[in-house]
Amino acid sequence: MQILPTLAFVVIIMTAMIILIFRDWRINAGALALQYLAAFILVDVSWPTGMAVIKLIVGWMATVAIGFTCMRQQKSTAVEESPASMFFRAVAGLLVILVMFILAPGMQRNIFPGLNLIILQSGLMLLGMGLMQLGTTAEPYLTVFALLSLLSGFEIIHAGLERSSLLTGLLVLVNLGLALVGVYFIGTGVEKGTDQDEEEVL
Amino acid sequence: MTLNTPLLWVLFPLVIAAIVGALYQRKALSIILTVITAFGLALLAVFFPENLTLSIGPIRLVFSESLAILGRQITVKYEMLPFISLIYAMTGLWTLSSWFPNTPVAFRPISLVLTALLTAAAGVEPFLYAAVLIQIAILVSVPMLSQGGGATDRGILRYLTLQTLAMPLILLAGWLLTGVETLPADSPLVGQSTILLGLGFALWLGIFPFHSWIPMVAQRSRPNVVGFLVFLFPTTILVFSLNFFNRYTFLRNLPNLAETLQLFGVVMIVIGGLWTAFQTDLKRAFGFSVLTESGFSLAALGLISQGGLNWLMLLFPLRALGFWLWSFALTALENHAGELTFESVRGIARRFPILSVGLILAQFSIAGMPLLASFPIKLALLSATLNAGTAFGVWSFIGNLGLFLFTLRLLFSLLTPEDENTFEKWRPSEKSNEYLPVLIMILILVLLGLFPNNFMDGILNTLTAFTQLQ
Repeated sequence: MQILPTLAFVVIIMTAMIILIFRDWRINAGALALQYLAAFILVDVSWPTGMAVIKLIVGWMATVAIGFTCMRQQKSTAVEESPASMFFRAVAGLLVILVMFILAPGMQRNIFPGLNLIILQSGLMLLGMGLMQLGTTAEPYLTVFALLSLLSGFEIIHAGLERSSLLTGLLVLVNLGLALVGVYFIGTGVEKGTDQDEEEVL
Repeated sequence: MTLNTPLLWVLFPLVIAAIVGALYQRKALSIILTVITAFGLALLAVFFPENLTLSIGPIRLVFSESLAILGRQITVKYEMLPFISLIYAMTGLWTLSSWFPNTPVAFRPISLVLTALLTAAAGVEPFLYAAVLIQIAILVSVPMLSQGGGATDRGILRYLTLQTLAMPLILLAGWLLTGVETLPADSPLVGQSTILLGLGFALWLGIFPFHSWIPMVAQRSRPNVVGFLVFLFPTTILVFSLNFFNRYTFLRNLPNLAETLQLFGVVMIVIGGLWTAFQTDLKRAFGFSVLTESGFSLAALGLISQGGLNWLMLLFPLRALGFWLWSFALTALENHAGELTFESVRGIARRFPILSVGLILAQFSIAGMPLLASFPIKLALLSATLNAGTAFGVWSFIGNLGLFLFTLRLLFSLLTPEDENTFEKWRPSEKSNEYLPVLIMILILVLLGLFPNNFMDGILNTLTAFTQLQ
């Protein structure tokens, strides 16, 4: 049964890279939906399917909510981007993958000894890629996608450590709330920042 | 159905918030409903009997402290009621100020929801789940920060991002901590869990270097909304943090933890103070002074062995009242002046003298000016910091001077006529609903400064909930 988690791990790496590199909401929404499917498979290793499927449903709901809002806002499908910036993000993503591959075995040994390595690696990949994504964009929907990915990574790891109905319910609220905030952000748009913002905050 | 305290202070305000949300177009009614609910719950918390039994005529209502949800519990302990009373009273005060035009309509229902969620967070068992409730509160707070449905500020996006990063860290730290209790003090897990915990709280409290969203949000959002946000979240999170000190002996005994907390406290005081001193934007200065206040909270936590917790608890209501007056005056002046820069408020004291006095005194009170509310606690804290280390004390003092300097610059600007060559008459033109709240709050701040022990002792009872920290 290790084949499915391994496949899910590969899907997670690919989708996380896609979300990091591309700026087209259609591609990213598709990748996020796939990422949730992979996350479900990994959570299913630790939890009963009935509980694990909650993550899938909530993730897809969040993706659909943001996707539909992007569609209503008629966001451009062909975002003008230089190949150099895409290349930069791809390299940054590869570095994150490399770092997580190096960190995961040590972390499993010292911090999470009971946790399956594939699960830990998958969770760390999503956490790392989510952080990298947050550092490379100020676009609201991409920020929310990154936060959803990041939370998904955390939930994969946490599912292997603890099982609680209340926590699952609360995390459902957090994911849906984040998606709604994303919808709100996309609806209102984001102001351009001023130089003062960056100068004075150290 | 059995009655319990979480029904009163968590579920009831959520129901009222839903009704207020539905009535958002009827401003007066929604304000009245929110204010009555908030003040009512605050008063109920003050006068709630210790045996948890309410007798209303022939009716006798017996309350339990816990509400079970999905196998876990939300508990509102009697010992926590002074703190709950404080946050509900301040919610009432802040929503009272929401009659100002341009205050987001979502502010009133959201303020009640936030207070209810954070009350639940203060009492959920296991207490680590509070991290998720706080995260939900953060998500709920986002719409009230946007002005009039306009474009979302990047500061809000940063606020959401940094605050969201805290939750996983706290939950993971919590999981690690369950194993740490049985381990020896030199186990690497102790350090790892402490670092995760520290990072999580630093993100939540906007501690350097995660503070950048505070001045950004303060500059773009309505001052009364920001004032409420920067009071409610840090206050509740700091009280939540006491759970960790109370529960885990190793944290209390961790070498250098007190010094580290003091160090970060002093860094925050200095950063906040210096940036405040040189601001020309009044709202941004408010944001930076929040950093200074976070610094004082950290310093008080670092002085836990010298009674720092008492100062921390006493600072909460004094800071809340100061922030309220500050944000109220800023909101009122923003309505009149449009912008809130030194240039745009020049000479405005001649038209709005009481609002200007309120603004100046609020800043002085927060800064710890003698005869005003925060003075006794700030003095005690600065003295204790100086005793703990001369460098810490001197830098804290210098940082705290920043707000004094800014206030003096602002005073000069408020009094200088727009055209310095012509004589401008004083023409007070405030309305009674602007100057009356300011005058009342000034009186309260002065009274608290003159008789600090007579009013504030109740809040200290909250500490009895943390038995190991006595």
